[in-house]
Amino acid sequence: MPAYLDLLQMLTGVVLTLFMWSHMVLVASVILGAGVMNALASFLEKTYMAQVGGPVIACTFFLHFVLAARKLPFRLEQQTSIWKLSKQLRHADTWLWLIQAFTAMIILIMGSIHMWTVLTDLPITAAKSAARIQGGYWLVFYLILLPMVELHAGIGFYRIAVKWAFVGRKERQAFKGFEKLLTAIFIFIGLVTLVRFLTLGT
Amino acid sequence: MSRGLRFNVFRYNPEDGDSVPHSDTFFLDETQSMSLFIALTRIREDQDSSLQFDFCCRAGICGACAMMINGRPGLACHTLTKDLPNEITLLPLPTFKLIGDLSVDSGTWFRSTHEKLESWIHTDKIFNPQAEEERMDNALAEDIYELERCIECGCCTAGCGTVNMREDFMGAVALNRIARFMLDPRDERSEREYFEVVGTDEGIFGCMGLTGCEDVCPKHLPLQKQLGVLRRKMAWSAVKHWFRFR
Repeated sequence: MPAYLDLLQMLTGVVLTLFMWSHMVLVASVILGAGVMNALASFLEKTYMAQVGGPVIACTFFLHFVLAARKLPFRLEQQTSIWKLSKQLRHADTWLWLIQAFTAMIILIMGSIHMWTVLTDLPITAAKSAARIQGGYWLVFYLILLPMVELHAGIGFYRIAVKWAFVGRKERQAFKGFEKLLTAIFIFIGLVTLVRFLTLGT
Repeated sequence: MSRGLRFNVFRYNPEDGDSVPHSDTFFLDETQSMSLFIALTRIREDQDSSLQFDFCCRAGICGACAMMINGRPGLACHTLTKDLPNEITLLPLPTFKLIGDLSVDSGTWFRSTHEKLESWIHTDKIFNPQAEEERMDNALAEDIYELERCIECGCCTAGCGTVNMREDFMGAVALNRIARFMLDPRDERSEREYFEVVGTDEGIFGCMGLTGCEDVCPKHLPLQKQLGVLRRKMAWSAVKHWFRFR
């Protein structure tokens, strides 16, 4: 049983990471113009990919949480020991895991809110998204959620490669550099997209 | 001009009811090629004869002198003071039972782990002392030897976030050990039998890939890579089993 759970944790993680990266690219299409984003969004809705895909991703999201939560330190003694060790050890990968665990909690809450808001208010249009961001509160919301998601996905991607021996010790540092760069690029694209939404229609 | 070194050493004797965990400070002048073994021995000789710490081989072979050196697990005999700052903090390894000061009982932990893993060669063949030894491919022998280089110092266990949070997790040393027997053609255990031992959340699926084990290993064993390979083997074994079962 643990084997299947662990495999499924990895697979849902891979699916969600790939989804998040494509999601970012799709939303970033607004940089090219509101028309491009609207065309993409209506294509996804006409083919029912949004209506079916949305809830499927939501289920994958919760499943991934339940699976990964088996490893999270919910008890105070566990939290104290990992915190003490991390501070002593000065070891980047141990810290990265703590970041992953912390961002997971934020994403669980904010990701759910985001999915509910968007999926209960279809169709997705650039104008509606822009109006939300320009409201102010949602801008703050996404300024928090964006780095959380990109950090979690980026570190998770690296972690899967390490855990399943896709990268060895020699390649690890280079791979970590690549992962950091990727995360930075996606955060940058996300920020530009937010700015684009802010200026849309003005 | 030699440096003055300041040592903050953890002190506690669980045998003594009046003893309270605290830190004692010792000062020493650094000498050439001074290792922590030399430093601690000088402190015990000249300053405090009650200081407890373990040493045996002084050459990084026995694994007895592992301790937390400025927060990181390492071998005291292998660590030269010239690679450390002026202030050196020494703590016993966590996750093992404390004997006193810097000395921990790793033996009990290792023994129970080996009993759990049954880390010996399982074979039905009857040993014939007269017969010539069976030959092994050289490349395979070297692969096994690479994993066999482990000196069981306990650094990987102490540096593992997962073990620190969850006592029941076997840790890299145990999983590396079982990987060694899986390579060995003389061990007749089947993949399923290995799975029974390590295909659990206490075993390989408990590893969260924090890479602490590999990064602190004083013998530079490729532990994380081994764990990854073992994880794949065990996951694959589970998938195969599932399809056979259907």
